[in-house]
Amino acid sequence: MSDGRVPDAMGSRAYAWLQRLVGASRAERVIISVVALVVAILIGMVFVFVSGAVAECTNDPAVYRLFGFALPLKFLGTEFCYDPINVFYVLIEGSLTDVFGIALTLQATAILLLTGLSVAISFRAGLFNIGTQGQMVLGALAAGVIGPRLVDMVEPGVLGGAIVLGVSMLAAAIVGGIWGAIPGVMKAYADANEVITTIMLNIIASGLAITVVRDVLGQSKVQTEALPQWAMFTSVVLPTNAKFSMLVLAGAVVLTVALWYVLNYSAFGYNLRVSGIQPDAAEYSGVNAKRVIVATMTIAGILGGLAGAAFVLMAQGYWADGVPAYGFDGITVSVLAANSPAGIIPAALLFGTFRSGTIVLQLGAEVPPEIIDVLRGIIILLVAMPEAIRQLAMRWGIEPPEEPAGQAGVTADD
Amino acid sequence: MISAVADTARALRDTRRLAGIAIFVVIGVVFLLVAPPELVNNLDDMIFEVGFATATIQATVPLALAGIGGLYAEKSGVINIGIEGLLIAGAFSSVTLTFFLSGPVDPRLALWLGFVGAILMSALLALLFAVICIEWEADQIIAGLAVWLLMLGAAPFGARVVFGSKNTSGVGVFNKIAIPGLADIPVLGEIFFDAYPTTYIMFLTVPVAWYVLNRTPYGTWVKASGEHPEALDTAGVSVRKVRYSAVLISGVLSGIGGASLTLASAGRFVGSGQTMVNGRGFIAIVTYLMGNYNPVGTFLSGVLFAGMDALQVRAQQIPEVSDAVPADLVGIVPHITVILVLVFFGYTRIPARAGEHYEPGEE
Repeated sequence: MSDGRVPDAMGSRAYAWLQRLVGASRAERVIISVVALVVAILIGMVFVFVSGAVAECTNDPAVYRLFGFALPLKFLGTEFCYDPINVFYVLIEGSLTDVFGIALTLQATAILLLTGLSVAISFRAGLFNIGTQGQMVLGALAAGVIGPRLVDMVEPGVLGGAIVLGVSMLAAAIVGGIWGAIPGVMKAYADANEVITTIMLNIIASGLAITVVRDVLGQSKVQTEALPQWAMFTSVVLPTNAKFSMLVLAGAVVLTVALWYVLNYSAFGYNLRVSGIQPDAAEYSGVNAKRVIVATMTIAGILGGLAGAAFVLMAQGYWADGVPAYGFDGITVSVLAANSPAGIIPAALLFGTFRSGTIVLQLGAEVPPEIIDVLRGIIILLVAMPEAIRQLAMRWGIEPPEEPAGQAGVTADD
Repeated sequence: MISAVADTARALRDTRRLAGIAIFVVIGVVFLLVAPPELVNNLDDMIFEVGFATATIQATVPLALAGIGGLYAEKSGVINIGIEGLLIAGAFSSVTLTFFLSGPVDPRLALWLGFVGAILMSALLALLFAVICIEWEADQIIAGLAVWLLMLGAAPFGARVVFGSKNTSGVGVFNKIAIPGLADIPVLGEIFFDAYPTTYIMFLTVPVAWYVLNRTPYGTWVKASGEHPEALDTAGVSVRKVRYSAVLISGVLSGIGGASLTLASAGRFVGSGQTMVNGRGFIAIVTYLMGNYNPVGTFLSGVLFAGMDALQVRAQQIPEVSDAVPADLVGIVPHITVILVLVFFGYTRIPARAGEHYEPGEE
């Protein structure tokens, strides 16, 4: 570190991995993600099946069958009750076959697009921002607190609703942005490791939010007042009670495209990517790395805050303790998408399918819906070792086409 | 000349350590200024009390053990940011194994078997992490995060499978062991010599870890593996084996630390939210950064964080205080402190080659 850049406990080491991922050709990246996903699901199935050995078997052998064998399956003196194939079938089937399921899937997809983008933009800048969850919690809180106050002030109706939604989202974006900027400033000016600061800030965010609701607002339950239907995002198409609004999804997609453009075709995006891949080179070429770090983390925070607003203003209607872990899912979405906005769309859709599938799981099969949280970890674990996945892909006979040299790296690739 | 440079470096390091303690003092003063009178008036009841000291020592156990484990791993060149996941593994498997064994064997024995099982589970997970990092050249930070997220999902999943809820039922805790004679010393006896087995394990681990790291060939290998692996290679010691062993140490110690949260404290596993581990693995990383990679320093910074934690727990127990101060606000004080410490300790001299994959035979 002879150039005076302050070495960071872990951050600078992360660039190597990013470099490998970003340096890989687009085809390679897709192959790595797809193979990692398939392997993760296979591991997940084994995990589910083995878990069935310790579970208490309550299922009806007439209904549950695995490869034609009645469940619980008995061998080695153990009863295996879980059907690993059925779990994933239910996950996907339940979320894609009826209008209600599709609406729920798209609802989760819209929020995951925002959290995925929040993670992706920071990862692209070489910042391991794990704080999207906390930014989302506080963004959701801002919307949940401001929304009901505005409801009392405006006339019920389309205009009133638009004002409530607009101001609430603005509040969520500001709060999320500030919460994201804090670890950014700490990283840029004090070299405080962002992994740890953002994780601490997640915990602090929930503590703060609960305090605000219970002790400042004096709510008896740890939740804010519910918004009336007219002050929430309405379902333009797919009018079910699944609480999905195409407006939010469209907005999230527009933001995805905007971020893709900014990352690839703007000076800021260029600086951000160079800082992520070659921080020293960026410094030499006159990029103000500190400012890029703070700006990136602020944008990530804004996106996280908006995700929280989308959750409250579209899905739940109020803030309550226990905001779903879309922020952590965002890490998996971003990692699966090789941190590129273009890849975020299919990755968010995939994870949105899983998320809405867990609701079906909760109702039906006895496999706990937390299986998706397990899958989330397995996927990251696999994508963390692109080398291994690449070798596996080659063993399976999948080989990426040769790309001309020099195209990888900081090009205007997605 | 060289020794002068070394001395300056040491002095700087000491300044930083002082700065860290200063942070705690400043937080204390600010806390006293802004805290409601109900809290300040009861502060002596909260601190100058054997219960507070005992709680602090107990809360130090997972931090110090996981911190020392993480220190070994990082010294050897493998940054183990997944310690949180290892702690969750230890906490969850200790309760679950004890639960399953409580029927077939004597409940007291079941606790010990559950304890040993928890260490094995955590060590297995650490081994998986080591294989991924060392054999498969995975990025250590991403792999560590994955270990954490994996357990953040798997432990509540497992609890739902076995107990039908994210929170397990109670399995009891270890008996405290009073050391004959010493336990009768007023105050100190109660704090240090009438404790859970895990507390004694910690008190043994701290000096042993220091001795091994600084006075044995193995300690030299660990340090060389993180600073200059080529030299170690040339000397005929396998960098791979050293790194594997160091990561396994972090797994074993985190397993004990995780089990101490359950079998020497809560008696059950709580899997909702961030699970009962609640960021302690990440705080443990900060304890060894603040302790400057010294096992004794790690233990002492662990005591500071644990003291904060114990203080907030005490604050919630005294009715006058808990009525005046929101519990959740007090609960985040340790986490705020972690951030402040990091801001002042961000610049830590990490092992030169930590985080990098090492290919034997490369120049």
